[in-house]
Amino acid sequence: MNSLERIHAALLFQPHDRVPVIAQVFGHAAILAGVDLKAYVQDGAVLAACQRDALAYYDYDAVFALMDTSVETEAVGSVLDYRTNAYPTVQAYVFAKHDDLAQLHLPDPQCDGRMPELLKAIRILRHAVGNEVLVVGCVLGPMTLVSQLMSLQEALYFAIDAPEQFIQLLDFATRVIIRFGVAQLEAGAHLPIIFEPSSSPEVIPAAFFRELILPRLKTICSTFTQAGAICNWLHIAGKSTPILPFYPEAGVGIANFDFSVDPASAMQALPQTCLDGNLKPLAFVDASPAFIAEEATHLLQHFAQRGGFILSSGCEIPPEARPENITALVQAAR
Amino acid sequence: MHNALMQKLVQALIDGDQATAVAQTHQLQAAGLAREAIITDGIEAAMTQLDARCTVEQFNLLEIMLAGRAVMSAMKVLYPGDAAMFPSQGTIILASLEGDVHDLGKNILKMVLTAKGYRVVDCGKDCPVDRLIATARQEAPLAVGISGLITTVIPQVRQVRTKMHALGLTQIKVMAGGAALKQATVQSLQVDFIGETAFDCLHYVETLPGGAL
Repeated sequence: MNSLERIHAALLFQPHDRVPVIAQVFGHAAILAGVDLKAYVQDGAVLAACQRDALAYYDYDAVFALMDTSVETEAVGSVLDYRTNAYPTVQAYVFAKHDDLAQLHLPDPQCDGRMPELLKAIRILRHAVGNEVLVVGCVLGPMTLVSQLMSLQEALYFAIDAPEQFIQLLDFATRVIIRFGVAQLEAGAHLPIIFEPSSSPEVIPAAFFRELILPRLKTICSTFTQAGAICNWLHIAGKSTPILPFYPEAGVGIANFDFSVDPASAMQALPQTCLDGNLKPLAFVDASPAFIAEEATHLLQHFAQRGGFILSSGCEIPPEARPENITALVQAAR
Repeated sequence: MHNALMQKLVQALIDGDQATAVAQTHQLQAAGLAREAIITDGIEAAMTQLDARCTVEQFNLLEIMLAGRAVMSAMKVLYPGDAAMFPSQGTIILASLEGDVHDLGKNILKMVLTAKGYRVVDCGKDCPVDRLIATARQEAPLAVGISGLITTVIPQVRQVRTKMHALGLTQIKVMAGGAALKQATVQSLQVDFIGETAFDCLHYVETLPGGAL
């Protein structure tokens, strides 16, 4: 079985040669290659080269064309601060002053901001791995993108103080996400992961998610499926248990669960959905390979009977992670 | 009558209804209540109820931010124009360290501590360790609070207590919180306390000598 076949089997709860392992290696690929993270997130060719090197080094089952959480907002018009060996941050939010929504620029993925570079990375990676390894693109979820257009604090106040405008902004974000995600699929991604940390129940109540975010996730997922995504992968960090039951309705095929979610409760909430998780990200920095191996083995035992599982971290493996810890994760499934 | 007005204030604060909280505070003042009574029976009562509701499973940023904003607006009615007039139970310094530009968690803790009568010195986000420590030398706080959303600030967090101790600032406690830092242990971060929520940090501060209300 190759990686893509293995993941496909996990998605369908079918037998496979081993549990797939997707280490959430994003910026760590740059550190591993000795490349400045600042260059990694701005140059699609550099990103693709680092991801390919990391794949060769670790031999896991997916590569990521994922820069950071500011790609979309920069393409809309926010100004970023780029620093050496760090992910960029938003210096000036494009919607900070709650300006006229109609003035917001719907970005063209072929020419705005770093979107073309991300598409370039996808093309290179897909050309390199074909249908052997999963090529994952990335879009933000609607709540997270709104947070990146105006800051999370302002977005939360805006939702309460100006609910109609907030909904319009969510709809604008949804259009950006769909356009960018479809472009990624056209460039060769097998799927774009939908990264939506701002919809965590630690940030917004579950009812807020159900009423405002879920309908837009449904639209995003169904559009991606029509555009050729092999499935939809939703990533919401933190204590996501209260909203997990909504995932099937959204059209989610792979559900990430963080270290703070008990595997048993995730399985109970999503009996027919493939789960990926959930080692503590910081453990890859400050724990030992033996600890990672033990934790991973524990997880594999949890899911041995059920299937429908991808061994992974609960969220991004920090860029400064110890490589031997990622190796221990991969080896645990072999 | 005062009791009914006070209950409306408490409920408005818990609901995060800023406009009603401000209106009720004005009404209570107009009815002749001293601001100390409004703080004790209104704001602190609301904070106590909010604290009980904000168990780990129920805690979400939206609700606590709305309540915090309502509390701060009510406080501004009581002490217009001069934050220094707030009754101070001691000083706490807060910061997000250099490279971390996320400050929402820090801002929430600031609101919670301020509402409970602490004087908060906010060093802001992207704050170098040395500036944080210089501020600690100047302000003699009960504690320094560090919020961290990214793991790359951890080496800086580890420096704070050691550097303060080297300067003889051994009585100042160091507490940490935020998505990245709460994955760690107090030993690995070399801090005195790690809070899961802002109220955890409040409770910790209240246990410190000079910090009990």
